Amino acid sequence: MAKILEGPAMKLFNKWGIPVPNYVVIMDPDRLAQLGEANKWLRESKLVVKAHEAIGGRFKLGLVKLGLNLDEAYEAAKEMIGREIGTSVVRQVIVAEMLDHDEEYYLSIAGNRDGSELLLSNKGGVDIEENWDTVKRLFIPLDETPSLECITEAAHEAGFSGEIAERVAKIASRLILCFDDEDAQSIEINPLVIRKSDMRFAALDAVMNVDWDARFRHADWDFKPVSEIGRSYTEAEQQIMDIDARIKGSVKLVEVPGGNIALLTAGGGASVFYSDAVVARGGSIANYAEYSGDPPDWAVEALTETICRLPHIKHIIVGGAIANFTDVKATFSGIINGFRESKSKGYLENVQIWVRRGGPNENQGLAAMKKLQEEGFDIHVYDRSMPMTDIVDLALNS
Amino acid sequence: MSILANKDTRAVIIGGIAGLNAARRMAQFDFLINRPLTVQAFVYPPEEGQQKEIYRGGELNNVTVYSSLEKALEENPQINTALIYIGASRAYQSAKEALDAKGIKLVTMITEGVPEKDAKRLRKYAIDCGKIFNGPSSIGIMSAGECRLGVIGGEYKNLKLCNLYRPGSFGVITKSGGLSNEAMWLCAQNGNGITSAVAIGGDSYPGTDFVTYLNMFENDPETKAVVIVGEVGGTLEEEAAEWLGKEIRRIKVIASIGGTCQDVLPQGMKFGHAGAKEGKKGLGSARSKINALRAAGAVVPDTFGGLSKAIKQVYQELLKSGAIKPEAELDEKLLPALPPSVQEVMKQGDVIVEPLIRTTISDDRGEEPRYVGYAASELCEKGYGIEDVIGLLWNKKLPTKEESEIIKRIIMISADHGPAVSGAFGSIIAACAGIDLPQAVSAGMTMIGPRFGGAVTNAGKYFKYGVKEYPNDIPGFLNWMKQNVGPVPGIGHRVKSVKNPDKRVKYLVEYVTKQTTLHTPCLDYALQVEKITTAKKDNLILNVDGTIGCILVDLDFPEYSLNGFFVLARTIGMIGHWIDQNNQNSRLIRLYDYLINYAVKEEREVPEKK
Repeated sequence: MAKILEGPAMKLFNKWGIPVPNYVVIMDPDRLAQLGEANKWLRESKLVVKAHEAIGGRFKLGLVKLGLNLDEAYEAAKEMIGREIGTSVVRQVIVAEMLDHDEEYYLSIAGNRDGSELLLSNKGGVDIEENWDTVKRLFIPLDETPSLECITEAAHEAGFSGEIAERVAKIASRLILCFDDEDAQSIEINPLVIRKSDMRFAALDAVMNVDWDARFRHADWDFKPVSEIGRSYTEAEQQIMDIDARIKGSVKLVEVPGGNIALLTAGGGASVFYSDAVVARGGSIANYAEYSGDPPDWAVEALTETICRLPHIKHIIVGGAIANFTDVKATFSGIINGFRESKSKGYLENVQIWVRRGGPNENQGLAAMKKLQEEGFDIHVYDRSMPMTDIVDLALNS
Repeated sequence: MSILANKDTRAVIIGGIAGLNAARRMAQFDFLINRPLTVQAFVYPPEEGQQKEIYRGGELNNVTVYSSLEKALEENPQINTALIYIGASRAYQSAKEALDAKGIKLVTMITEGVPEKDAKRLRKYAIDCGKIFNGPSSIGIMSAGECRLGVIGGEYKNLKLCNLYRPGSFGVITKSGGLSNEAMWLCAQNGNGITSAVAIGGDSYPGTDFVTYLNMFENDPETKAVVIVGEVGGTLEEEAAEWLGKEIRRIKVIASIGGTCQDVLPQGMKFGHAGAKEGKKGLGSARSKINALRAAGAVVPDTFGGLSKAIKQVYQELLKSGAIKPEAELDEKLLPALPPSVQEVMKQGDVIVEPLIRTTISDDRGEEPRYVGYAASELCEKGYGIEDVIGLLWNKKLPTKEESEIIKRIIMISADHGPAVSGAFGSIIAACAGIDLPQAVSAGMTMIGPRFGGAVTNAGKYFKYGVKEYPNDIPGFLNWMKQNVGPVPGIGHRVKSVKNPDKRVKYLVEYVTKQTTLHTPCLDYALQVEKITTAKKDNLILNVDGTIGCILVDLDFPEYSLNGFFVLARTIGMIGHWIDQNNQNSRLIRLYDYLINYAVKEEREVPEKK
């Protein structure tokens, strides 16, 4: 799942003939004045300025300003750019034409196992939540394109009529094309607005997710997906992502502020179960981590050091299932080096370490881990005979 | 009994090195249960025609790599299963071809990062063909005692620990690959092991689902219970619950669902597999899956750790009801051990191998090369030079300061002798013909022999003989040489003579005899010989080969090593000539006609062949 920002989404809409308002994305407010000279719409329309970043709840944070003229838009942009929200910084704003409109509609499409589903409603905008039951749903089987008649009929069932129904159906058919050809996972346009005087439509706001795994067949994807964790990445997370991009196998990290149980776990499946076990036993996780696919020891070492630096941690869970091909001895030697390095820098004081693992060279790996006891680590090592997540119970009961 | 993979399974692997590694792991399992090789062919166009070495125990098999699936199947019609190990951008095409192939009934894909649309299409295509497409992102399929597809099950030791050499009574279906292995272990530790285990992969739209395999397990009389490991996202677990609750099922279902922690995570924060994403309004949440499965009658413990107890409990119930008969423990010693490699056995001291070669001068098995025991970097650090390395590698001795000075000077004055001599000329001709450095230098090197530079060894050898056998009898030595050898090697020069001495010889003799304390019996002897030979003929002087040979004998180098000094020194010169010619971009050369005397027969007619 890769969410993309409004700017790139609008660009893709344009490509497929879905009407969008005029817009520009800027990093420097002064650029807006120059753009104003070049573009009549910037001088003559009411404008909206929005932070062009992956920040939730922008409206409440004052990162969306409506109904501005060019000078006011300049001021708004100046105020927004550079603002720090938690760990993120506003670097770009999108300035768009605020189309005077008569009605707001809802149009979306999302993939499912057998194809996709098109959703249509003539009660868009903020009203959509309460009118969810009236939304018309049209199932589109995989690799099939519904006829314009079929979509128009759906539009009628959604409450549209006359020329508007035909125009909405046309936009929906282009949305389906865009969805299919751009390997999208979901596109939600809310609202799709209409100005009846000149029958002009525009997608005023949109959320689009594309399948990032399909990027190899999209040469024109010049954007990067927005952070998948609902906020921008921290420096430590970014560092681990950079390592991840360079290695065979993978290392992953998500920080969860406020927790005191750190996870240094292996495998995409098992790591989630360790997080679950902490939560189920009333603990709070300080992070989510995962290494898998037999990554090199230095990558695991870097992940270990990052995790040891997490504030206020009381336990580190070095957990994992019985690996199929990840070498336990090699990955553990990375973890051991990371522990030693961290200890020498003053971390890991009063931190208990709990280990459970199996897989290739498990005996040597576990023995090496156990030897850390001799170096003064508070470490508890278990082999495959210990049920996988039961070390979490031991940690929380200690 | 089993599902999906059994004793009759014969597989083709589509992909490169990862596929080869999988094939090797699979052959270990084939060995454990003594079945024929599962992997019969590879398809990987870049390596078409190659043979891949696969050991089934100690038995070496060669498996052919084909350029296309069609060719592989033409020669191996017994293949009924395809494993996709190729990159994400080509995975769709490969899997589709495999589904199209008549004999192939099962396609399983390990490739990760396959676009969702491709996976959805493959799923639909497989259903339309009436075949099974398992994956993407599947670690593989295991049927205990029958067949292993992929690296599922891990290392050899683990195959035994998980009782995979014989069928048990539990089926396993997981999204995660790592947890398929864990679940197999839990079934062996707390029950009697598995019948089959399938990893369906953690993507959003896997080709198959829990229900597909629950149905198969339900129809497999040996399977009495199934362990499901699912996770947040999608509705496959809910569908499994629906299947279970719909009618009375023969098999018991035990499940664990990952992702409950997402309830308490900061909003929007997500992690885990690609498919592990909660939908709108709690659809596909771990909690809703757990509730659905529990309501349908599945045993779902609170944490994954609780699976052990749950499996044990179900196993005890099945034993009690008589559905499973207790099985006598198999002595693990009866199972074959994987033949170790020669290195492993040698480490344990259980075998003697007669070495093929023996060395006494150097060893690079440690962190850095050691010359006769001395670390190369330490020699550098302590101020030793290349002369000392020559002393060590050619004579196993560290020369004294004085000795290494002499060695250095010998090499310096022998390094080159202009372009006209055979060696340099040979290298130059080669360089002009566009030949690369090593070959061009060896062209020059080929010239070194009895008439060019190769007299050092023999000079040293015979003067040493003279010192020993005719110490005070030069005429006696010369006489012996005349009768047994011929001209004395190291004596005589084409242009130089007593009146026109070779400056290099003069310099070396003076340096060694006057500026060093080296004891020089051999050189002294040769100079005595020169006195007598020059009396006979002016140009029968001690030449540079003879001088060097004698000094090196006095330095105690073995006599057969002496030509090495000329070879080494001249290599420097020949490399120089090659570089020089290349720098100048020299053109191919040939001899001018006027430099050749064509002493040939006149033109004449070829007679008819008789």
